[in-house]
Amino acid sequence: MNEQLPDPWISSVGIDIGTSTTKMILSRLKLMRTSSAISLPRFDIVERELLYESPIYSTPLKSGDEVDAEQIWQILAKEYELAGIRPEELKSGAVIITGEAANKRNAKQILHLLAERSGDFVVATAGADLEGLLAGKGAGAEDRSKRIRGAVANIDIGGGTANAAIFQRGKPIGTVTFHVGGRLIQVDTGGMIIAVSPSIRPWLDASGYRLEAGQTISFEVLKEICSAMSRNMLDYLTGRAIPDREKPIRALIPGEPLTPVPSVEEWMFSGGIGRLMEEAKPDNLAETAVHGDIGPLLAHTLKECAAQYPIRLVKPDQTVRATVIGAGMQSTEISGATVHLDKSVLPIRNLPVMKLELSSHLLEHPESLAEALAQTMRNGANLYEQDASPPFALALSGLSNCTYFSLQYLSDKLSEGFKTYFPSSGVMVIVCESDIAKALGQSLERRCGAIPKVVCIDQIKVEHGDYIDLGEPIFGTMIPVVVKTLAFHNRVGVTNV
Amino acid sequence: MNLTAALFGKTFQFKDLKEVMAKANEEKSGDQLAGIAAEDAKERMAAKLVLSDLTLADIRNHPLLHPETDEVSRVIEEAVNEKIFAEIRNWTVAEFREYLLRQETRNEEIRRISRGLTSEMVAAVAKLMSNLDLVQAASKMEVTTHCNITIGQRGVLAGRAQPNHPTDSIQGMKASLYEALSYGIGDAVLGINPVIDSAESVKAILNATKEEMDKWQIPTQNCVLAHIKTQMRAIRQGAPADMVFQSLAGTQDGNTAFGIDVKLLDEADDMIRREGTGTGPNLWYFETGQGSELSAEAHHGIDQVTLESRCYGLAKKYKPFIVNTVVGFIGPEYLYDSKQVIRAGLEDHFMGKLQQLPMGVDVCYTNHMKADQNDMDNLAVLLAAAGVNYIIGVPMADDCMLNYQSTSYHDIATLRELMRLRPAPEFENWLEKMGIMENGRLTPMAGDPTIFM
Amino acid sequence: MNRIIPLDQLVDKVMAELEKKLPAATTQSTTSLREAARTEPSVDVTGFGELASNVPNPKWEEGLDELIASTPARIGVWRAGTRPLTREMLKFRCDHAAAVDSVYGTVSQSLLDEFGLFTVDTYFENTDNYLKRPDRGRIVTEEGVERIRKNCQMKPQVQVLVSDGLSANAIDGNLRDVYPSLLDSLKAYGLKVGTPFFVRGGRVAVMDHIGDILQPEVLVLLIGERPGLVSSKSMSAYMCYRPRKGTVESDRTVISNIHPLGTPPLEAGAHIGTVLKTMLEQKTSGVHLDI
Repeated sequence: MNEQLPDPWISSVGIDIGTSTTKMILSRLKLMRTSSAISLPRFDIVERELLYESPIYSTPLKSGDEVDAEQIWQILAKEYELAGIRPEELKSGAVIITGEAANKRNAKQILHLLAERSGDFVVATAGADLEGLLAGKGAGAEDRSKRIRGAVANIDIGGGTANAAIFQRGKPIGTVTFHVGGRLIQVDTGGMIIAVSPSIRPWLDASGYRLEAGQTISFEVLKEICSAMSRNMLDYLTGRAIPDREKPIRALIPGEPLTPVPSVEEWMFSGGIGRLMEEAKPDNLAETAVHGDIGPLLAHTLKECAAQYPIRLVKPDQTVRATVIGAGMQSTEISGATVHLDKSVLPIRNLPVMKLELSSHLLEHPESLAEALAQTMRNGANLYEQDASPPFALALSGLSNCTYFSLQYLSDKLSEGFKTYFPSSGVMVIVCESDIAKALGQSLERRCGAIPKVVCIDQIKVEHGDYIDLGEPIFGTMIPVVVKTLAFHNRVGVTNV
Repeated sequence: MNLTAALFGKTFQFKDLKEVMAKANEEKSGDQLAGIAAEDAKERMAAKLVLSDLTLADIRNHPLLHPETDEVSRVIEEAVNEKIFAEIRNWTVAEFREYLLRQETRNEEIRRISRGLTSEMVAAVAKLMSNLDLVQAASKMEVTTHCNITIGQRGVLAGRAQPNHPTDSIQGMKASLYEALSYGIGDAVLGINPVIDSAESVKAILNATKEEMDKWQIPTQNCVLAHIKTQMRAIRQGAPADMVFQSLAGTQDGNTAFGIDVKLLDEADDMIRREGTGTGPNLWYFETGQGSELSAEAHHGIDQVTLESRCYGLAKKYKPFIVNTVVGFIGPEYLYDSKQVIRAGLEDHFMGKLQQLPMGVDVCYTNHMKADQNDMDNLAVLLAAAGVNYIIGVPMADDCMLNYQSTSYHDIATLRELMRLRPAPEFENWLEKMGIMENGRLTPMAGDPTIFM
Repeated sequence: MNRIIPLDQLVDKVMAELEKKLPAATTQSTTSLREAARTEPSVDVTGFGELASNVPNPKWEEGLDELIASTPARIGVWRAGTRPLTREMLKFRCDHAAAVDSVYGTVSQSLLDEFGLFTVDTYFENTDNYLKRPDRGRIVTEEGVERIRKNCQMKPQVQVLVSDGLSANAIDGNLRDVYPSLLDSLKAYGLKVGTPFFVRGGRVAVMDHIGDILQPEVLVLLIGERPGLVSSKSMSAYMCYRPRKGTVESDRTVISNIHPLGTPPLEAGAHIGTVLKTMLEQKTSGVHLDI
């Protein structure tokens, strides 16, 4: 069998639009057959090569924290040209809107604009958990964790938020976000406070600091604030303090606190603050406020603070570009190569995932299986638009020991259920964990006829509440998939605590 | 050349040397399948009698496969030292056997005359030897080689760590490798058979084994047993290979079926010397096995013992670090049962050693052979007594990728303790440093693979 | 047609997530279900249970679990002196017993009846002879040839054959999944299947003899593989475009290791259909096939 593919490389872009900076990278991913010639074909991404890094742009703002989407597009258009790529050549990748820029108005505008003009590449979106994970991958924490026994945390700190992701033996085991960032307090070189972000106010109040724009502040007090902020964050991350008991810490965490926090052996700091840690330490207000904010001071107080914990501080592979590199190079997966595709309906973006956990028991008990499927379809019909094509992606796990008999029954119930609950939907999407998509897809198609069209892929693990993007077919047999995990930490089994 | 023998009141007439050589073999299903085996026990004995009276010159003068038409024959012929051959040309095969077994014939003497031998003479004498003869004669011969470390010394039994995985999972291979190292196995080579014969896959595996060698400062050598062309592509892409590997056949046609020839082997030899990571001078790993020529229909009517010996004649050209016969892998149509496998293992080890090769044996069987693990225990003890350079180490003897059974990490450790054998000296020092071995015995820590995590 | 979820709605969703994470309760139950699914026992032939560590005081307990989970190889087995522990040794011998018995076993007649497969023999005579004389398993007996001529459609587009080969267990264990899945796949592609049957004592190259008799466009042989200790019921599918006497091995396309813990049987059946379709399109097979 001919295993030499015409061109094993696919282009992937990463775009990170943050509170203070915007950057883009271009990479290429090498697809190789990773199964033997006498097995079913299976391809994986075996190499990820960074081709181009844009300069770091200040995020263009219209006013306050409203991003100027039109200007973002101009930056990207220019960068695509410099990188020598046309948007339609991009097969995969992710756009991520991070930190405080990730407000509703910005997200809406930017996503609209990119979807219209950026060709068919896959668009992802903001989410603090996803952002933390991507930064952790880009900074090298995931990789590093495969080499040591204990857990590795990467804390990516930008202008407005800090996203921590913890990895153990190559698997993510927790994420958490903090209101910690270099631009939360803006000052000038004379110590005059220019602005205080609303998101840090609860913490300032809880900690007994009263800061207002126009007020002048001393270097010492500013340093004390940075220290307290750093200590609160690290105390929490190391399990020394419990948020529910300590008000300031609770005020530092926007979402649900992660309890318990897995114990960490090494940590690293990426993002703008990570980079500032490597630069000269500021000794006065003038050196602190070179960018008009507390960034350099926060970086160095955090570095000093981190040294007081029994946790090894390691250098990340990437600092300020960790998230964009993670988004561009680490977000894409490849489906199995024996799947059931319909080119005419691909790509599909932003598809919400409904998950149904099957088991040998369910497969052997038709009534229970029928009930479980009906329940899932009912839920889907309540949650999502019934005439959308497709309304959602149905994720199926537990099919690895499925027999032909069970597959027939499953296909009957799936096709009937879909037609009952989604009579005007034209596309059904199924995502299986185990290698069964071609058999299941063929079974479904036989039952469905022309409508709905069936897309059935496998070897992708998704969870309830994820969103997925399905790219266009590669070599006609498989597709790139980006899984967007919006809420991560609540459902990951935290082990070894 | 006399090709007749009178036995039991009957005259046995053989038409040529090829027939004598085939019929003088102990019973092998492969010779029967090829239709060249002795009809019965008497005919077998008649052939042995005829063979015993032939001189070494008779054998050389009647090539089974002409050097003009077969490049393996050419390689073997060109390696003969004429002066030494002249000294022994009039020996009968019987005399040659007795010379090898005599007490005053030691390693040095055998090493010298081996330079005047062809592979066919070596095969001929093996056919006249009993199993214990094969053990006794082989035990005299010491062949040491050096890649990154030296193995083959008298009193040393090395082991190949063979941590194969059914889908080439690097993590899974490392798991089996850690287990091997924790039992003191891996001094011959960290050698992996890949499922996927691609340069990328070979490179990834070589990198992974090299990484462990560097991390733990393991004095050994790595190798991936893909096709030679694939390894060459991987090395060109920068893969760190201490050695190159190839399976050999005893005829040019057999090698064509393997997708190789002498020119390609020469090229690879040049490459591993220039671009390999091993210290040398021995930078090759070869595997062979009785029956492979017949299975490729490239046997030219020659018996499988002689063909096997010819593989060694070809291997010698490249001064390999290790060679092993995968003795029970090819199937019951070539070696039917444990009796045949044990015989073939002893023959191959002896024939390789007599051609000055650093012989190891993959003491193994497949599940459709009439053999089981007890038979492997027996053959392994015999080979340890014969001074085999190394045997194969697979977790619990079960290779979950190649689907056959060999010898285990436990078996190598047992043979060492039982027969007072040691790992290769540099490797043993390292085992002591790691706390796995003390005074040649495994410590209580041995057997815990997490030492290497 | 290709309507995706409106961006506004997605953005709302994202923002909602950012402000308030998904309720923990629902997702936690998912987690526990998932755990349950994972720890469900896999096919356990001998009844020895899952591989587990025997190492008494490993330097790193969790690390050992990780190693054992990463490979089907028998590791973490520990020792008595330098010898294996009794239970590990017996487990190994049990797996070998299963493998040996599957070589000498026979395919269940009721299974063949279920799929309406009639039987022909090769000249193998008996299992011992089958093992020693592979050439005998490549030729169908005269009686068998007659039966084929009488019962089978000549010159079919696709000919399907089943043979015990080296493992009757492989057929008993996988045919019920692979075979109907294959037929569905062929039907989905609109391919026409001839009269399938069972060859007792067949070798792979029996394809060539039957190819000569029936002259199919493509032929697929589902045959039991040489059993291993991991699985004694592993099946292969050998496929060939116009197999005839003298076909070389490199003209055959193979999918091997088909069993529940290897190449998944249902997906294998579906994929074999695709391979056969590709062979018909490209009018070739084996190394020349571009798939």
